Amino acid sequence: MTLGSILVVDDDENDQFICEYTIRRFDPDIRILKAFDGAEALDILRAETPDAIILDINMPVMNGFEFLDRYAAEFEEHAPVVAMLTSSHLGKDRERALQYAFVKSYFEKPLTAQHLRVMAELLDG
Amino acid sequence: MSLSPGAPWPWRRLATAAGLWCIAVGLGMMAVWLAEPAGLAARHPGFFGMKFNAALAFTVVGAALLLIRRGYRRVPALMMAPVVLYGALALSQHLLRIDVGIDTLLHTPFVDIGTSVPGRIAPNTALCFMLVGAAVAVRALRGEGSLPQIALGFAAFTIAAAALLGYAIALDFAHDWIAFTRMSPQSASCFALVGAALIFADTREAGYPRTALAALLGVATYLILLAMTYRELYRFEAAFGLTFSTSGPHGTLSSLVLISGTLYCALVAHLFHSARKARRMAADLAENRARLSAIIDNAVDGIITIDGRGTIQSVNPACTRIFGYRPDEMIGRNVKMLMPEPYHSAHDGYLAHYRETGEARIIGQGREAEGRRRDGSVFPLDLAVAKLDLGRTVAYSGIVRDISERKRSETALLEANAELEEFAYRTSHDLRSPIASSLGLLTIAREMLADGETAALEQTLGRMERNFRRLDHLIQNIITLTRNRLMEEDAEPIAVRAAVAEAIDALSHLDDVQHIAIENHVADELTIVAKPSKFHVAIGNMLSNAVKYHDPQEAQPRIDIRADRRAGKVRISVEDNGLGVPPASRHLLFQMFKRLHPNRSFGSGLGLYILRKTAEGMGGTALYEAREKGSRFAIELPEGEGQ
Repeated sequence: MTLGSILVVDDDENDQFICEYTIRRFDPDIRILKAFDGAEALDILRAETPDAIILDINMPVMNGFEFLDRYAAEFEEHAPVVAMLTSSHLGKDRERALQYAFVKSYFEKPLTAQHLRVMAELLDG
Repeated sequence: MSLSPGAPWPWRRLATAAGLWCIAVGLGMMAVWLAEPAGLAARHPGFFGMKFNAALAFTVVGAALLLIRRGYRRVPALMMAPVVLYGALALSQHLLRIDVGIDTLLHTPFVDIGTSVPGRIAPNTALCFMLVGAAVAVRALRGEGSLPQIALGFAAFTIAAAALLGYAIALDFAHDWIAFTRMSPQSASCFALVGAALIFADTREAGYPRTALAALLGVATYLILLAMTYRELYRFEAAFGLTFSTSGPHGTLSSLVLISGTLYCALVAHLFHSARKARRMAADLAENRARLSAIIDNAVDGIITIDGRGTIQSVNPACTRIFGYRPDEMIGRNVKMLMPEPYHSAHDGYLAHYRETGEARIIGQGREAEGRRRDGSVFPLDLAVAKLDLGRTVAYSGIVRDISERKRSETALLEANAELEEFAYRTSHDLRSPIASSLGLLTIAREMLADGETAALEQTLGRMERNFRRLDHLIQNIITLTRNRLMEEDAEPIAVRAAVAEAIDALSHLDDVQHIAIENHVADELTIVAKPSKFHVAIGNMLSNAVKYHDPQEAQPRIDIRADRRAGKVRISVEDNGLGVPPASRHLLFQMFKRLHPNRSFGSGLGLYILRKTAEGMGGTALYEAREKGSRFAIELPEGEGQ
């Protein structure tokens, strides 16, 4: 099973661009969904469940953790791979994120092809 | 003897009384001698024991005492010279068995009683005149009490008291030192009074304890009397062979007198010793109490004692300062008056619980609680309660310390610390964020370069530039914050309108600013006394915020700046018809690193935080008011001395 669709949740337009570019280069067939904050992401997830979610933590309106809380509480079916993608490794944030069963990885920006390979393996594994 | 040293008995009046008594007795006796009432002499011969010369001498002594009381010194001293001389001559007549002719020099007695030679005074009377005369002279010359005066008075009193007691217990030798020549009761009373006055009137000033002197006086008189009794008894026993045993050299009765005397002396000594000890203990106790109450009265902490039912028994002055009640408003009332709910209602239960179970919740340990002042305000306090076992009853002492100040700084410190932690966390994230992004873009740019996609490369470089501008903006903001916090500056008058105009000019570099109608409504004459650089930061911050968050869809975007003065404060507001703040996010306004607008990530998240900190740095506050469309941000600053 290969990655068919990825939801990128990030408020930063540049980061969205990097993700999109990197994913395209990794596999042009992957469908990319974009959300600029947690609330937008929840809206998208109500319509469909992608194979993976790449999630930033620091966002206005609804940040990554608030999103995770809502996603865990309000959804029965979760994306198979949820990866955190943040600009800094802070032990506290990492621990908190990995408490959610569906959070599988914790990456540091910028997104690379290597990160996507790991996600693809997680989806297969 | 209840001559406590502290009793305010007017001892000096004793001297006046003695003087008046001597004059009265002296003048009276002289009158009697001159009147020569033969009938009285036949019926009461004892009355004529006091001689004319003695009566005259007593009158002189009494007059001298009164003069001393009036402050005279030389006259009474001179008056004593003939008295002492008379005493000395009279005594020497007895000792040397001579007659110098002084006995009938002034007056020839019409009757003779208790005298070896007509008109001659007894040897003890003569001796007493010498003692009293010398003592009065010493007192007159010195103008104050002294040891010789007390010693002389002491001797005279002892001799006179022994004579008086001799009359009382019919011991002739006590007043008749030699056969048929006695100290009359009148003379003895005069000497006793004068002696007592000499001893006691000045002792306070001379520094001798009256009680000890009185005790000594009693013992000395008793011992003299005892010695005389022993002598007499021994003489009779020897003369009449009165004895209950043949073995001892002494008679049983006389020995009994000696033994009783010894026992009595020992008892008196013991009593005296005990009295002294008790007095010293009382003094120690008083001193300790004074020391303790000084500590309690001056303690910074409030100290309260209550009984087992919670009734306040004592409070120290600090309690008045802490709670606002006067001591009389607290004492006798239940201590729960000083407690807010829930302690107020629960306290009786605490006491009962402890009484019944002995299970202490607070006794013996300190804890933080709350107190209620007279004005109803509630404040945090440190409370330490101890149980006082007072034999039959139990009381509790509580030490309370108002810790409002400590709590305030504790809270402020915790807040500052949390803020600092948040700041460190957010900066580490927000500083790296544009760099991480740029690193990603750099990789992409390299690939685009390799692929020869120049147009896409150009766009990517633009993205990198925006990243660096964002980073620069963030760092500028951090610098502003730090400078605001660290810079010490003095307030000075600022013309508000001009300052706003300057801030509007400084906005020109921002995108879209030329599309927005910015209007400065501030009155020309309004000035405020504030810290200038902070003031400019605050105004600039509000304005740039309004520009950044203008609504691009709005046909006529506008910003209005107003300032007015009310209730001692100057309020400067910046009003826009921009995007506004979503109601759900308003609680995050003014917090650090909060960006409230989706898809508008160009802010550092520090703008409003800087505004709040800057306003607070000027002693003011930052406010937000939602409008139907757009926002109104304002700062309220103390007016200072601005006009």
